[in-house]
Amino acid sequence: MKWKAPSRALPAAILVVSLVITPLLYAQQPDATLTGTVTSPSGGRIANSVVSVKNLNTGAASTTQTDSDGRFVVPNLASGDYEVSASTDGLNAVSRVTLAAHATQTVNLTLTTQSQPQTPAGNLPNAPSSSKTEPSLSDLGFTPEQTQANVKEQALLDKRTRMLKIHQKLGLITAAPLIATIVTSLGAGGKHTSNTDRTVHMVLGAVSSDLYFTSAYFAIRAPSIKGTSTRGPIRVHKALAWIHGPGMILTPILGALAYQQKNNGEKVHGIAAAHGPVAIVTAGAFGAALLSVSLKF
Amino acid sequence: MNKPKLIALLPFVLCTLALAADTQWVLQQCTLTYHVSHPLHQTDGISHAARGKGICHAGQCDFLIAVPVKSFDSGDSNRDLHMVQVTRGAEFPMVTVRTRLLESAGNDASIQADLEIQFAGQTAHYQHVPFQLTKQGADVRLSGTIPATLTDFKIEPPTLLTLPVKNEIPVRIEMTWHPTQ
Repeated sequence: MKWKAPSRALPAAILVVSLVITPLLYAQQPDATLTGTVTSPSGGRIANSVVSVKNLNTGAASTTQTDSDGRFVVPNLASGDYEVSASTDGLNAVSRVTLAAHATQTVNLTLTTQSQPQTPAGNLPNAPSSSKTEPSLSDLGFTPEQTQANVKEQALLDKRTRMLKIHQKLGLITAAPLIATIVTSLGAGGKHTSNTDRTVHMVLGAVSSDLYFTSAYFAIRAPSIKGTSTRGPIRVHKALAWIHGPGMILTPILGALAYQQKNNGEKVHGIAAAHGPVAIVTAGAFGAALLSVSLKF
Repeated sequence: MNKPKLIALLPFVLCTLALAADTQWVLQQCTLTYHVSHPLHQTDGISHAARGKGICHAGQCDFLIAVPVKSFDSGDSNRDLHMVQVTRGAEFPMVTVRTRLLESAGNDASIQADLEIQFAGQTAHYQHVPFQLTKQGADVRLSGTIPATLTDFKIEPPTLLTLPVKNEIPVRIEMTWHPTQ
């Protein structure tokens, strides 16, 4: 049995598709950067100061800490108006900046004892009356954990959502070449198929696989939130990954074996004969995973 | 002042003292339900974790109801986490509702309340929100719907399969208040 290498166009096609798709996936990612320093009232640089950056247009916020030299960098920001604040040991600083797309803006914060803009947890809403007898949030018996802002957790949630949005978009995009792969399989596996039919099928399969694993990466790497148990349809979505995940690994391997056998003029045999059934189960599980989070049941 | 005159004045004195005293109300039971519409989904998120207090003074009552954002359960943990994220629920963990009513409103079958709601770091005001009142012994049961929208709180509409949810997120409130004084 001799391995016949696919035409030179095949690797080139995969490379071109990857090169085209990758920039498109990141084209919409925010790319402005905010840098600066945090200094004490006496002018000394403050290390490990928490710096919060809030987009005043969207409300999106992120946090970071200054390094040992009192510097901070917040990359991947969308253009817009921002409120930048820093705090350490009861000292605060707040500044507003406008970020342009692709720009790097510097803002230097000097900490003072002035009070920081308060969050609702510390600053109750404007009272509808001036009565001194009105109830306050502290009267209601909530624990500090329930009422205090957790900026770090918000940043983690923001990161999680960003990654899962990419996962979702890539998952949807993956469906297109996956369907095309299934359609072209009809012409790739028969007795009278051409090398071109098989190559087209393989290229589409490779693109699907590439997109699938990129999508899976964003789901797997999305941070989990402490104290959250998985409930509802998302459990089905996650469980189905145990079917289409291994299937997406196995299908191309079996496909390569089948491709080799067909190119040698042989009938697809042995373990390679499982390529079709494995692919169908994999595609079915993938489709069910999409539906599990799309339709209510 | 002789004894008969003092006895005659006693009811008036008692009534005056009673009116001057503050009456307090405690939220005994509360169910808050937000409704989100999406072309593929209709979702309700429910919380029973609200707490509230009302203080009446000089014929007027100030009420405060607060509920943790994280306490809403839509039946899907992924959706709930996403809800907390888009509403900035870790940064602004409480939803607070304030209103001022006339003390006599407790005797009506329905009221229209002006609400001040703080949520997701924003404050929104809703005028003349209708509530139905039912007396259950000393307790008062109120139910109504706040016509909230995402734009009221500058919340970016969450998307599913790239389709955004509707801007309207009506919040149904059912609560029972119990007088404590």
